[in-house]
Amino acid sequence: MSEFFHQYFDFHIMGAHFSEVLDGFLKNLLLFAVVVVLALAWGLLLALLRQLPGKKLIPIRGLTIAYIDVLRAIPLLIIILLISGGIPYLNFLPKDLRIPQWFGQPDPFWYGVLALTLVYGAYMAEVYRAGIEAVPRGQIEAARSLGMSHGQAMRHIVVPQAVTKIPAPMLNEVISLLKDATLVSVVAYGESVLVGREVLAETFNSSAVLLAGLMFLAITLPGARIVDKLIARNQGKITRGAHIEVA
Amino acid sequence: MAEAMVRLEEIHKRFGDLEVLKGVNLDVAKGEVVCILGPSGSGKSTLLRCVNLLEPPERGEIFLEGHDICKGPGSGTGEASWELDFVRQRVGMVFQQFNLFPHKTVLENVTLAPRQVLGKSRAEAESKAKALLERVGLGDKFGQYPERLSGGQQQRVAIARALAMEPHVMLFDEVTSALDPELVKEVLDTMRELAGEGMTMLVVTHEMGFAREVGDQVVFMDGGVIVEQGRPADVLDNPREERTKKFLGRVLER
Amino acid sequence: MISKTRLTASAAVLLVGIVSVVAIGCGSSSDSSSSTSAGGGGGEALTVGSDIPYPPFEQGKPGSYTGFDVELMEAIAGKIGRTAEFQDTSFETIFRDVAQGKFDAVISAATITPEREKAVAFSNPYYLSEQAVLVKEGSDLKSLEDLSGTTVGVQQGTTGQELAKEKADASEVRPYPEGPDAVNALKAGTVEAVIIDAPVAANAVEKSGGLEIAEKVPTEEEYGIALAQDETGLLDEINQGLKEVEEDGTYTKIYEKWFKLEPPKAIFSASEAAE
Repeated sequence: MSEFFHQYFDFHIMGAHFSEVLDGFLKNLLLFAVVVVLALAWGLLLALLRQLPGKKLIPIRGLTIAYIDVLRAIPLLIIILLISGGIPYLNFLPKDLRIPQWFGQPDPFWYGVLALTLVYGAYMAEVYRAGIEAVPRGQIEAARSLGMSHGQAMRHIVVPQAVTKIPAPMLNEVISLLKDATLVSVVAYGESVLVGREVLAETFNSSAVLLAGLMFLAITLPGARIVDKLIARNQGKITRGAHIEVA
Repeated sequence: MAEAMVRLEEIHKRFGDLEVLKGVNLDVAKGEVVCILGPSGSGKSTLLRCVNLLEPPERGEIFLEGHDICKGPGSGTGEASWELDFVRQRVGMVFQQFNLFPHKTVLENVTLAPRQVLGKSRAEAESKAKALLERVGLGDKFGQYPERLSGGQQQRVAIARALAMEPHVMLFDEVTSALDPELVKEVLDTMRELAGEGMTMLVVTHEMGFAREVGDQVVFMDGGVIVEQGRPADVLDNPREERTKKFLGRVLER
Repeated sequence: MISKTRLTASAAVLLVGIVSVVAIGCGSSSDSSSSTSAGGGGGEALTVGSDIPYPPFEQGKPGSYTGFDVELMEAIAGKIGRTAEFQDTSFETIFRDVAQGKFDAVISAATITPEREKAVAFSNPYYLSEQAVLVKEGSDLKSLEDLSGTTVGVQQGTTGQELAKEKADASEVRPYPEGPDAVNALKAGTVEAVIIDAPVAANAVEKSGGLEIAEKVPTEEEYGIALAQDETGLLDEINQGLKEVEEDGTYTKIYEKWFKLEPPKAIFSASEAAE
């Protein structure tokens, strides 16, 4: 039993490799920060495309729905492997696009960004959709009856109201993203899990891996608490009948 | 004879397998107040929503001030763009559930469409909005949010909001049905004044008193068709059709 | 329409759940049968851990593994009256795993190093090896020195990784989970060179095309079979088995089959000397 604890709680090893694992964790955070912004934007765009009304735009709606379903259906790990294994071979693209080394970040970083954005954009699009659909239909009808175009109705009436219903479920997706981003270790991006496994190979001990896990805990636990508070606050607002404040 | 403000010809509308409007014909003259009565499911709300193309009809023609706003038979499923804008700016609508924008103040609710759709400046839109709100008796509520207002007050804001677009026709879809009884009068009074000013109005309602006093024409619908229409006194006091009699009998028992 | 989709989706989830439970149940009971077909002497099973694939040492699918290590181990097992049963595992945990008794032995092109000897016991060396610098055919990189400032791919936890870190002066050393992943990255162009065991590099050149070995780096590495340190009895048996396999010509046959070369004399004396 003590051997078990020794495998995971060897503080000497944790101490010796702390800054390495921390550096790796910062790489996790960097990847996460870049993807979060891109995925939120991409997801919103997808959600809006999915909403476009009218017979003529059925192909766009159909493609968007298909994209959202497919990207949520294929395991993220497979998408990461497909992208990092396939893009270098797209010979019609210039090398700078196939094997991106932009801003000093190596190509596994950018493949990770692409894969995570494509997939999490799809999940986030569904969160936006739920928010948009939660806005009562009468709102759009009133807006359209006043002569506003679909775009104006979305912009002034629907999206501002949808936005208040989104933070709690969206934060869940965001936390999920932070954790899933570790999968990029499989294409040799030097983030904390990879570092942990390196130390494991060197020392035959898993403590560095646990250390990486603890670093995540430090961020995701408070994050989950915030989500709970947000949900409770919005619930309270609904039951008290307060108008939802929008900036 | 003056051309009708609104002319509905052979309107057919179905939702999936259910045919809701089975060939409705109606003329509304300028300044006329037409009250539409009928049991639920009769298609009266749907008919109203055809007029501003919220529910475009499958078949039939709709003429607004002489312009055909559907592009002809069989085209009703799409939205013809410039006709749509023309329609929505000429036709105002007030809903049973008010549908005020909760994240905007009363004043903003009324100024939003004139600014965004008609391109009016903020100053212009606001001064007009304030005048309208005062006219409906809400001059002290500009900065409030809808949730703070009573149902009757909200509905009056909704009327002001629709009027801000300077429509030529106003559609009222059971606008007092969701109100507490003591709040109904203030809304009906507002509508009465509007009628007195010469607005062309189509009113779907259960308020027989209003229909009798304010209406120029009463239309009774059942099962997707117009069963009987005529002057209020004729239809309400001396209905000719059996269905009309039955309906009125039930309603007036309340 | 919604309820129909929900129903189908729920049925699908249920089906997946049932299949997984059944699979796990079957998997755990037949874990020990993810083995090679002809294991050896038909006696008690010898569980052998290995990081598969790593051609030409170990490759193939469960139930039909093959390769130099695989065949050698089967031959040795036969000599000591046991049947070798292979289990695929990841390289970076392999020494810890055998030290804790997860396997009876490990054969995985594993170099004998002082660090590793702290955790496990090794048999006599069964293979002499070196590292190679693998590059794309026609590359400008012709030696270990040329790698200065380049991106070099390696497999996590290997002596190739150590060599890369110590000698290659690379701008980035990229550790991949599996050896073949590093080779694939080289082919795709995302790394400029790979440092990996020489025979594995040679195999890649032969089987893959478009690659060449820039330089071989003689590191005088010796591969050994790893066991838990307290398995002294089994260690003696394996060393004995290895010696017999070398003496009766089986070793030479297997060696020539996989490497198309005669085995170096040094390996036979390595067995002798270590006794």
